[in-house]
Amino acid sequence: MLLIIGIVVIIIVVFFLLLYWGFYNRIIRMENRIDNSWAQIDVQLRRRAELIPNLMETVKGYMKHEKEVLENVTKARSALMSAKSPQENINADNMLTGALKSLFAVAENYPDLKANQNFLQLQDELTNTENKIAYSRQHFNDSVLAFNNTIETFPGMWFAKRMGKKTREMLQIPDAAREVPKVKF
Amino acid sequence: MEKKLLVEDHIKRNKRLTVIVCTLMALLFMAVVLAFGFYFFGNIYIALIFAVPIALAYVTITYSISVQSILSAAKARPANPKIREEKLLIMRVEEMSIAAGLPMPKVYVQESDQINAFATGKNPKESVICTTTGALKLLNQEELEGVIAHEMSHIKNYDIRLATITIGVVGAIALISEIVFWSLLWGGRGRGRNDGNAIIMVLAILLIILAPIFARLTYLAISRRREYLADSTGAYLSRNPEGLAKALEKIKASVYNTKEKPKGSKTVAPLYIANPFKSMSAESAWSTHPPIDERIKRLRSM
Repeated sequence: MLLIIGIVVIIIVVFFLLLYWGFYNRIIRMENRIDNSWAQIDVQLRRRAELIPNLMETVKGYMKHEKEVLENVTKARSALMSAKSPQENINADNMLTGALKSLFAVAENYPDLKANQNFLQLQDELTNTENKIAYSRQHFNDSVLAFNNTIETFPGMWFAKRMGKKTREMLQIPDAAREVPKVKF
Repeated sequence: MEKKLLVEDHIKRNKRLTVIVCTLMALLFMAVVLAFGFYFFGNIYIALIFAVPIALAYVTITYSISVQSILSAAKARPANPKIREEKLLIMRVEEMSIAAGLPMPKVYVQESDQINAFATGKNPKESVICTTTGALKLLNQEELEGVIAHEMSHIKNYDIRLATITIGVVGAIALISEIVFWSLLWGGRGRGRNDGNAIIMVLAILLIILAPIFARLTYLAISRRREYLADSTGAYLSRNPEGLAKALEKIKASVYNTKEKPKGSKTVAPLYIANPFKSMSAESAWSTHPPIDERIKRLRSM
């Protein structure tokens, strides 16, 4: 009789150990995913900042009279380089996205510029970088959602408490980023 | 917020149905194995000694078919970044792999006027996405993104692995069935036949003969289910179901109306976004892909 009880207890203990092992690894992996995607966002933002000087050089000659549009881009880039808090970062980032949108909208009026191979390449690269930034943010939010779901639902929440894990915050993309910038002619 | 829930509901539903159909397949396989044992040995358990290795061997062999052979059969070549369209393709694949959280697959291109694409590879780390040159010419970036999101979803959901294993099981069932069939033909006397249980014997034989057909139908049901899943996962990744919907409409026009003969062996057909070997009228329980109109409808309802 005692033997049977002993075996049952051992089985239950082993079961919970396996469960703990499974959830521990899962929670760690999800957290790493979040950190990884955060780093990704940074990489893409940096890449975009690097492309800007090239772009400015290329369009300078063609768009001599579009002083305001060009200055907006330069101003936005400086703001981004000097941003200190995450909020400043996001604001400056939005400014830059908007300024670039205006620049490309205005470039539509310069057929010579549009035919320039360099310009085309830079436009493709910038679109690529913008998309990668957007998808990195999306993946970050997806990872945070998956993580939060795991540590807030049963039974993950038990293990999360023992591991000292707290829910993470998703990135709020301000609506300003989605507005179509008004271009003055 | 409401739109997003609908896409996730689609994903959950497709995953649930896959489990159901795969269970059916597993049960069918077990039934065939037991019937086989009963027929030959009058004992269902001995069969497991024979049938399980057969099945494992089949699955292992089909699983190790190299990605290279699929690419060669399709006459695909690596995408050339010096050609703008192909550079844009590489960029879109790169972006989508970030959205999916996967390492970037290799990008290949197949010369064809049809719009089509496929994904292949044993696991996300060694995967390949290939589109036709027709797709690059005829689709705009939004539509191309939708197609790539669909292919990326196949990789993310391990559909290639699932398809390979399922085809392996179908093959094993067919092989077992053939063994029984030939034994019947040559009038061999299985030990089971000497037992008085005539009715069960007949049922067992019937099951074995019909099993390959049911196995094939089940495999095709799984294939269609995974296509819907790839559509919904793709829509979730791109956050834009309309992109793929528009692409499917263009595909409808191109694949089913051209007289061009598709390249590559038929076994790779399920990997394509639209079966290049079938005409529209052939859509039914025998299709690897769900009807295009239904796919467009579901995407637009997300």
